[in-house]
Amino acid sequence: MRRVLAAATVAAGVAGVAAVVLLRRRAGHAGPGGNQPQPGNQPQPGSLRLHGNLRLSRGLATIRLVARGGARYATSAPRLFAAAGEHRQQLRNDLALQTAEDVASTLGTMKGVLMKLGQMASYIDNGLSPSVRRTLSRLQDSVPPMSPELAALVVEEELGGPPDQVFASWDPEPIAAASIGQVHRAITRDGRAVAVKVQYPGIAETIAADLGNVALLRRMLKVTAPSQDVDALLDELRERVLEELDYRREADHQRLFADYYNGHPTIVVPAIVDELSTRRVVTSELADGARFADLAEWPQSERDLAAETIYRFVFRSLYELHAFNGDPHPGNYLFHGGGRVTFLDFGLVRHFTETELEPLMQMARYLCVEHDPEMFRRNLEKAGFLRADAPLGTDQIVEHMALFYDTVRESRPLTMTGDYSSAVVRRFFDVRSPVTTYAQIPRSYVILQRINLGLFGLLGELTATANWRAIAEEIWPFVLGPPTTPMGEAELSWRARHPAPSIA
Amino acid sequence: MAIPDAGQYATAAGLIERSAAAYVSGVPERPADDGFFGPASVTWKISGDVTGPVAGLRSLMVQALHPLAMAGVDQHSGWREDPVGRLAATSAYVTTISFGERAAAERAAARVRRIHTRVTGVDEVTGRRYEASDPALLLWVHAALVESTVTVRRLLGTPLAAQDADRYVAEMVVAAELVGIPAGMIPASMAQLDAYIESVRPELRCTPAAAESMAYLLDPPGLDEEIADIWQDVRYGAVVSLPDWAREMYGYTAEPLTPARREEVRQVLGILDAVFIGEPGVLEARQRITALMRAAARPA
Repeated sequence: MRRVLAAATVAAGVAGVAAVVLLRRRAGHAGPGGNQPQPGNQPQPGSLRLHGNLRLSRGLATIRLVARGGARYATSAPRLFAAAGEHRQQLRNDLALQTAEDVASTLGTMKGVLMKLGQMASYIDNGLSPSVRRTLSRLQDSVPPMSPELAALVVEEELGGPPDQVFASWDPEPIAAASIGQVHRAITRDGRAVAVKVQYPGIAETIAADLGNVALLRRMLKVTAPSQDVDALLDELRERVLEELDYRREADHQRLFADYYNGHPTIVVPAIVDELSTRRVVTSELADGARFADLAEWPQSERDLAAETIYRFVFRSLYELHAFNGDPHPGNYLFHGGGRVTFLDFGLVRHFTETELEPLMQMARYLCVEHDPEMFRRNLEKAGFLRADAPLGTDQIVEHMALFYDTVRESRPLTMTGDYSSAVVRRFFDVRSPVTTYAQIPRSYVILQRINLGLFGLLGELTATANWRAIAEEIWPFVLGPPTTPMGEAELSWRARHPAPSIA
Repeated sequence: MAIPDAGQYATAAGLIERSAAAYVSGVPERPADDGFFGPASVTWKISGDVTGPVAGLRSLMVQALHPLAMAGVDQHSGWREDPVGRLAATSAYVTTISFGERAAAERAAARVRRIHTRVTGVDEVTGRRYEASDPALLLWVHAALVESTVTVRRLLGTPLAAQDADRYVAEMVVAAELVGIPAGMIPASMAQLDAYIESVRPELRCTPAAAESMAYLLDPPGLDEEIADIWQDVRYGAVVSLPDWAREMYGYTAEPLTPARREEVRQVLGILDAVFIGEPGVLEARQRITALMRAAARPA
């Protein structure tokens, strides 16, 4: 068996529980037995497909299979949430989930899990076209909204009273679909306009139960790729999804980000309203602004500024806050012009320890600043990205990995393009490269693939130009360079109140 | 005893696609009426369960144990040449009866009754003559489907209250009448249904045609690899939910249905359902049904 242990490819298998369930080659659940003689050439159920090797590609094929379903979900989705007009309203009303039972029948038995994994698949798969990826990530849009009564019931259970008592004003029509829930507008009794995310009743239990059955997945993945990392990857993804089911975690994350960026000139994180946030309801200040799609009409200078803000947000959060928001999909931003961006949805956040971050920093440092390939390699190995015994020349490794650092290797203005992000994705999953054979993604860093596979794609869509290296130097703890752009200058007063951590 | 070569069967390629098309064809877009059951019926409620494919396979396994019913299918229906087409035709029929307008359901039933008049012959195993329009045979087929739907749903699906099971059996009486069974013969409660099935047991046996057909269905050749993997669990669900006597007639064994195994099967069935929904028109058909059901459930 070809030992292609590209962890990313393994992760692709994890992308669908579906995928993994289907990797089984277990027959004999139901097979001929008993006493009756078997006719000679009769097909024997359970015995036919025992041969054949397990292959990762099968997992990928299965994602496509599920995507087939996903595509259909998504094409009908706009009619539920995005399309305009009376018909949409009618359809939404007609299909609205009225009871917890409706929720279970719509999202139970793996559909909720598929939906979540579809969201995550975009940073752990390789073989899917961008359209299928988008489709999968929009699976959730196909879910009908809750009826006003059902949403009110959840609010009442969580906040102790029906919405029109708990809030001064409550809009029973949801304004958006959210992760396993929907968002309502409301005004608090002290007069603040807020967005209230309400979770589908019973969905957390359903998804948790479906995800609880991972013994099977683990076993199968182990057969597929006999590596410790399979366990770790699976655990990581599962843990992130389970965390997302508890809105209190999300509120905690959002508070952390909101506090840190409080006073920042361009980064806006809506504040959480503590007393109106619980396990299944999270209330934050209402934000309004242009959507990502609207930016297509904006002048390039504005798009560049928006991109710069997103870039600063991602890397400041990582290096200074030791936290990464793993869900940088276009729907999670609102744009206000002048580079001001509101960041929404902190359901999928990972915190990093110093020990986890240290080798990441050293990798960037030795490759881009110190130009010391051997130390770069040593840190790759230390982080677990590369097996220590890889019989490869360091120049070979650098050549393979350098693409991921292309935007920050030289100090010059550089335009992000779709081509670059595609090249990164291709390189990432290039199973033909000898380096890939010895590369893997340790559990802690799985979510960071969103930088390569999500952020760069986003900035590419904006065709954003900046001196990314210069901005990175402002942020890199081992450089902490002076401001290099007007936005960097504008950060100074905020920075004074939020000093960057000193480097190790 | 001559065992026909399994190679005589066409492959099962397109099973999902054609089943989906059959389903879509049976759910009208702008129905003039709610058909024979309607959005408040247990029939509609029960139809969307992910266990549908398992119930379908199990009911075929039970039906096939009646030598005359099996002979009729085996000798007449083009079963070997186009098994998937034959299954799709049955799916389309069942869907039309369940969700179609009354006129459409009546037309479909009349067509089936007409075809049945031409299906006669002699079963090679028992030497008995059969006629497909014989109410006794039709009743067996009907009862196997209804009982399988309830049993599989109870074993693997979401819980079904006892009174809902009884209501479902009672609702199904009209489906049996449509295909030509006199009302007086048709079980109208679970108890009657179970007693009826018990009464037929002495006539049942696993003929070579049944063994061969079911071996084909339990492991249909030509499926997409992914669907074939899913089918392992569909097959397991069907076999494990059979009554012991039926499983013994076939000579199948099944590992016990532990709670963990049950969950696993349900998960796989959920994925199969997601795949099914992915076929053209299925989501829209489901939404049409769901919208009517939600409207019926909504307080006036």
